[in-house]
Amino acid sequence: MSLWLCLRFNQLPLECLSHCEQQPVAVMAGQRIIRINDCAAALGIRQGMSAATVRALADEEPIRLLERDKQAEQRCLQQLCCWAYSITPTLYTWQFDCVQLEIEGCLSLFQGLDTLLAQVTTGISSRGYCAHHGLAPTPKAAWLLSFAPRVTAMAIQQPLEQRLSPLPLSLLEEFAATVNSLRRAGLQTVGDVLALPPASLGRRCGKAFTHFLQQLIGQREDLQADYCPPSSFSDEYWFGYEVKTNNELTPAVQQLLQSFCNFLRNTQLQTNEINWRLIGSDKKLQNICVRSASSNSDWKNWYQLTCLRFEQLHLTNSVEGLVLACPQLQPGQQGSIDLFNPHNQREPLTALLDRLRNRLGLQAVKKLGCRDEHLPEFAMLASNEDPGNEHSTSQHCAQRPFWLMPQPEKLRHHGKHLYWNGVLSMVCGPERIEDNWWQEPVSRDYFIMVDKGGQHYWVFRDRLTQQWYVHGVFA
Amino acid sequence: MNEMLKQIINRNDTWRGRQRHFQGKSIAANSDCKNSSALSSGHATLDAQLQQGGWPLDGTIELLSDGCGLGAMGLFLPAMKRLSDQGRWQVFIAPPYIPYAPLLAARGIDIQQVLMVHPKNRQERLWATEQALRSTTCSAVFSWLGAQDYSYSELRKLQLAAASGDSLAVLFRPNQAHHNSAPSSLRMQMREYRKVHILKQRGGSQSIDVDLSPAQEEILQPQLWELPAWTASNQSSPAVGA
Repeated sequence: MSLWLCLRFNQLPLECLSHCEQQPVAVMAGQRIIRINDCAAALGIRQGMSAATVRALADEEPIRLLERDKQAEQRCLQQLCCWAYSITPTLYTWQFDCVQLEIEGCLSLFQGLDTLLAQVTTGISSRGYCAHHGLAPTPKAAWLLSFAPRVTAMAIQQPLEQRLSPLPLSLLEEFAATVNSLRRAGLQTVGDVLALPPASLGRRCGKAFTHFLQQLIGQREDLQADYCPPSSFSDEYWFGYEVKTNNELTPAVQQLLQSFCNFLRNTQLQTNEINWRLIGSDKKLQNICVRSASSNSDWKNWYQLTCLRFEQLHLTNSVEGLVLACPQLQPGQQGSIDLFNPHNQREPLTALLDRLRNRLGLQAVKKLGCRDEHLPEFAMLASNEDPGNEHSTSQHCAQRPFWLMPQPEKLRHHGKHLYWNGVLSMVCGPERIEDNWWQEPVSRDYFIMVDKGGQHYWVFRDRLTQQWYVHGVFA
Repeated sequence: MNEMLKQIINRNDTWRGRQRHFQGKSIAANSDCKNSSALSSGHATLDAQLQQGGWPLDGTIELLSDGCGLGAMGLFLPAMKRLSDQGRWQVFIAPPYIPYAPLLAARGIDIQQVLMVHPKNRQERLWATEQALRSTTCSAVFSWLGAQDYSYSELRKLQLAAASGDSLAVLFRPNQAHHNSAPSSLRMQMREYRKVHILKQRGGSQSIDVDLSPAQEEILQPQLWELPAWTASNQSSPAVGA
């Protein structure tokens, strides 16, 4: 036993093009009005009128006549599916304006039908749509019932055939010829047809129609391909006015990130990179990429990182729209911090890394690594990636300084004394390091020297050039 | 009046002067006896002088020295090794040079935890330091604040950030800074090689010199004094400029 909820977005052709409520708007297909908003209805405009009639009725009132855009409708329907995926995984689009949801399997998740329906209603209205509901054990019956008055459409306790009976056959547009001939025979409603013996009805109306009727009342399987959420994410926000300061972007950022992270949670995907695109008033694009060291789907985290990047942003032009795109998504992995960590660590380690990198730039944050090399300057590396660690601890390191200079610096010498912020005196040495003969031969004698203040330095004499250098500072 | 005074004294960030003014058992509320969260410095003589028996973890430590605090870093090597076990970041903010990774590794410090941050200006330096202190992901934060002047409120912000976490927070500042007051829990000056002067510490004795002599070192300890004794016999001076 399954339970299907059909959401029929009757006004979809209008809603996908305009959400305007102050001005009469009408959508036309082939010079005929197909959908109108409330303002237009108040003017007396009805469906099926021609453009000329509408203009005559509107008179002085400015009316917007929009051409129907079926692609936009499909896009909107896909977005609605994307949202509805958070309610149930079993759903598909039906006709051009319906979404069919199988909700029997998730009733206990939502703790009952009422809370589920309430959530559906708020979800739809927050997206600026309105829908007719139909509730039935089969998807086709749910769809048909969405045309019925709400009392009947939602009354699942009543027998299905009794609820279907009063519905007119003319709703079945795909069987127009059959319905026409049935009407001539005096059969007007679904109930009339269902009362006939199925065998004779099949002979008269053809296989397709009887299949439909059987699927309608649940005597035949009705299999449809389930909706698959897309593998990438892209969403946009249009301000409707020109944005000139960074702060004004914040609400759009929040809304986009929330829907993005809902999408990620529903699809159990994660990402470590999101792209913001600012669409300027001169149609110029500005790209901002926000990265995170760890994949995650927490919108507050992404919001924090985005804010860090936007703080540094200088808007040269006013912005009209904001696009959030995420081309690469990976299957989610839940990282967690140690529950029993005694050091009250409240966030994963990478959180700090992300904040620093997004504010200061990728190059400003480095990690250390060791390499098994003889020359001191090659034995370590600092990189912004995670450097490999191929080091085996050797006792040599006991004689190494804490600080290594990025470049050895030349020492001044006077007579028998070396000078580096004062005269240096010998403590220990030499230790010879020779290496790199295959490339640029290096031969050095390292000494440890101390200055008047007691500071120890790591000093070497280049045996090839006879020059003295200071290379490190002991701590 | 008395009540208000008590409340103020009870605040953890109220600074109280020298210990000897408070006779008897009544230890200042801010002396942190309740809080044994100190981290042993690894130097016995220093631990003895520090109020909590080690580096305080509930505030900043200010270290004034010449030469960017290059030589002072050895003080913290034992602490860094201990903190390695926590598996959290050890952050170097605006270090003058790069710490030599093989040495750190040889000292038992997990170099994968070392994070070096190079901010471009004073503003970013303060921001990065505060972020590192506020985030709970750092076991140690070493920040070289550089030669610039910092206002009391800026330093206090760092102090409060450090107090909110439990990381070892060390600010390296030049010697000249000791004329200005600072909100740190512990202020020290490296006056000479192996000589630390405690300028002030919360709830503890102050204006004392601590001599970190090699004899009292823990075995296998720092850097600073492990250099082998240079006997006069083999002091054959290398031919400088030869």
